[in-house]
Amino acid sequence: MSYVKELAATRELLANLTIREVKGQYRRTFLGQLWSLINPLATMLVYTLVFLFLLRFEPPPGDPSGVEGYPLWLMCAMLPWTFFTRVVNGGLTSVVSNANLIKKVYFPRMHLPLAVMASTAVTWSLELSVLAIVLMLFGAMPIPFIPVIIVFMALLALFAVGLAMMLAILNVHFRDTQHFTGIVLQMWMFLTPIIYPLEFVERRAEQVGQWVLDLYRLNPMERFVAVFRNLLYDNRLPAWDDSIYCLAAALIVFLLGYLTFSRNEKRLAELL
Amino acid sequence: MTEPAVIVDHVSKRFKLYKERNQTLKSAVMRRRKSVADEFWAVKDVSFEVPKGSTFGLIGRNGSGKSTLLKCLARILHPDEGSITMNGKAASLLEVGSGFHPELTGRENIYLNGSILGLAKKDITARLDEIIDFSGVGQFIDQPVKNYSSGMYVRLGFSVAIHVKPDILVVDEVLAVGDGAFKKKSREKFREFTNSGRTVILVTHSLAQVREMCDQVAWLNKGELQAVGPAKTVTKQYQEYLDAQDG
Ligand SMILES: Nc1ncnc2c1ncn2[C@@H]1O[C@H](COP(=O)(O)OP(=O)(O)OP(=O)(O)O)[C@@H](O)[C@H]1O
Ligand SMILES: [Mg+2]
Repeated sequence: MSYVKELAATRELLANLTIREVKGQYRRTFLGQLWSLINPLATMLVYTLVFLFLLRFEPPPGDPSGVEGYPLWLMCAMLPWTFFTRVVNGGLTSVVSNANLIKKVYFPRMHLPLAVMASTAVTWSLELSVLAIVLMLFGAMPIPFIPVIIVFMALLALFAVGLAMMLAILNVHFRDTQHFTGIVLQMWMFLTPIIYPLEFVERRAEQVGQWVLDLYRLNPMERFVAVFRNLLYDNRLPAWDDSIYCLAAALIVFLLGYLTFSRNEKRLAELL
Repeated sequence: MTEPAVIVDHVSKRFKLYKERNQTLKSAVMRRRKSVADEFWAVKDVSFEVPKGSTFGLIGRNGSGKSTLLKCLARILHPDEGSITMNGKAASLLEVGSGFHPELTGRENIYLNGSILGLAKKDITARLDEIIDFSGVGQFIDQPVKNYSSGMYVRLGFSVAIHVKPDILVVDEVLAVGDGAFKKKSREKFREFTNSGRTVILVTHSLAQVREMCDQVAWLNKGELQAVGPAKTVTKQYQEYLDAQDG
């Protein structure tokens, strides 16, 4: 509890580290903050080409929103996913890449992964706002759902930073962690229904057996993706079981990350 | 003298030494087969007290554990044995400008560094002019700090740290940098600092500086406390020891 107090007492540092991350990221680039929009647009283009023209897959229209189109359907899940990977990758390296700071000044070290989370949330909010505007141009109405969207953004942020904090400590001991995580995240993305719908897996499960689907749906990111698609693409409230699964996953993973990090942070300076 | 500002009570700090430390999974598996890493006590059973409002010096040869002890005082390292009591808010200055972000301007870095050292935004704003003025970087304050000369970098970092006005300031060999004029300026600032009841603990290799600035001195030798006392006596003992080593 005293560690929580210390974090709260130094919250201005968190704000400043976040500003450092946000401002430093796109300094000296011509397009600046626009880069954070160009990157998802580029991925959207690639997957749209593959899925629309090669695989001829058309997602069902949003229910009840009525919006249609693979690019919109894709982005409603892709943006939460890229947020997740950016927080995990950035948070996991935040301790090692700030070794100089850790060895020279004392401050609660948890602010480093938290600042990565906060700064990524800033760019993510920008991306989501753009997506929301585009969705509205195509007839959807996500505005009434904004409070619920914010709640799930916070849960996803907790889930991501919790994982990042555990990995950050592991990365101090074994630098293999950051390379390994890159590969795992790539596989994880294809094991989550982002670029293809869950129906693909359901159809396969009918042939192979129900356990395939049960196993597949253990993945908390599957639930998060479903929730964000419900809110943004369909414009309806997410299912209760998905919501509770997200809440539980976020709280458990964050708590584990918090405990791992706060127990190990005293020795970080000498291990780096 | 009332209560001491800092109490160092039987402090020891141990490091583990690995033959190769490249921090990969492979080397960890290999290490498991070898015997456990060697232990090395960088600081061994050191105790002393620092009176409030004084300037306290730490001297000793290279590798004697001065920086390690300072890092324990600054809470960057945690002693394996013993305890350290700080009566008041402490700030450390182990390497000037270590919290700077090269792409941000001097002004933005003042806020960043100030908050790392524990200062609230409104307090930084209140002292901003003073900080910029003391640093002497002039119109470069709105330039990214990567365009600074190393001296300017150091001056800005020192200026932020000293204006944080902690009760206890822990300083490691930073007075060795900066030009003559700035050294003089910072020495005056230190004096002003201790005169207002604040405490400075500093490491330096310049015995002349120790004699001039410090009230009390501790001499570390291979991690152990060799002597502690008034600056004059301890520096004299240390000088004699150094002379004997030469011969
Ligand atoms: N992280 C570390 N891991 C292992 N050994 C360390 C570590 N940090 C310091 N040491 C060892 O501890 C001893 C004391 O180092 P320290 O930096 O405290 O010396 P110092 O008195 O400050 O020397 P100098 O005058 O050169 O600055 C040295 O032998 C050093 O190799
Ligand atoms: Mg040293």
